Amino acid sequence: MGRAVRGQRAGGGGESTVSGGDPTPAPDRVRCTLPSHPRYLPLIRSLVAESASLVGFDTDVTHRLVLAVTEAFTNVIRHAYGQGTVKPIDLELQVEESTLRLNLVDYGRFIDPKHIASRPLDDVRPGGLGVHLIKTTMDRVEYRENDHGGTTLTMVKRLPSEKESS
Amino acid sequence: MKVTQETQGSATLFVVDGQVDMHTSPELRGHLRGALGAEASPLVVDLTQVAFIDSSGLATLIEALQAVGKYGGKLRLFGLTPEVRKLFDLAQLSTIFDLRDSRDDACAD
Repeated sequence: MGRAVRGQRAGGGGESTVSGGDPTPAPDRVRCTLPSHPRYLPLIRSLVAESASLVGFDTDVTHRLVLAVTEAFTNVIRHAYGQGTVKPIDLELQVEESTLRLNLVDYGRFIDPKHIASRPLDDVRPGGLGVHLIKTTMDRVEYRENDHGGTTLTMVKRLPSEKESS
Repeated sequence: MKVTQETQGSATLFVVDGQVDMHTSPELRGHLRGALGAEASPLVVDLTQVAFIDSSGLATLIEALQAVGKYGGKLRLFGLTPEVRKLFDLAQLSTIFDLRDSRDDACAD
C-alpha cells in the first residue's frame, strides 16, 4: 500500500484539503484546520495513523507518530492558546522524497521550546514528558515563530526504506 | 473513554475503556480522586481496553501514585497493551509503577 502511494509522488500525487487553505495543488500533501479543543484529538490521531500507514510506516512507528502529534497538539492548546478551545490549529502532512514532514501551525504566541522543555526522566512527577516524546520519535524537530505571531512546529520523520517496508 | 469502578476483595478497581488523553484524563482523574480521598488500597487500574495513552494520561497516573504514597497505600496497574507498555518504557515509568500480569494478581492483598 505504502509503495503505491509513494509511487504516486513522481506522477503528481494529489492534495486533500479538509478545510480552507491555499488551493494550489501539491503532491502528497494533506492539510486540515481544527479547533483547539481536545475533543478533536482522536480525529488528529486517525488522520496521522492512516497517513503514516499509507506511506509505509510500520505499526510501531505509526503509533509513535500518533503519540508525537497528540503531544504537539496538546502543547498548542495548553501553551499557545492558554487552554482556549476555539482557536485554529493547522496540521499539514507532506510526503517528500525521503521524509514525512508534519507542520503544526498555531495563531497564538511564539512559544520558546525552552519554556516547555522536558523534565529529567528520573525526576518522576506529573507533566514534562510531551516534548521528550516528540523529540525521541522524530528525526528533526524545529520550533519557529510564524507570520501570524504564533508557532510553527515542524516534525520530520525519515520514510522507511523499501527494504524496511517490504 | 469510560471508567467503571468495581471492587475485588479489598481492592478498588478502575476499568478504563478507551483512549486516555488531554480530553479524557480529567474524567479518569476524577474517578481516582474519589478513591484517593477515601484512602483506598490497593488501588488497581485495568488498562486492558486502553489502546492509547498520552503524557496527560501518564500524568494522571503519576499523580495517583504520589497520592497513594502519602497515605502508605498501593497503586497497581495491569493489562498494558504492547503500545502502552512501550510508552511506559520510553518514559522510564515501568519500574516506577507496580505493573501486574493479571487482575487477580493486581487485586491481591
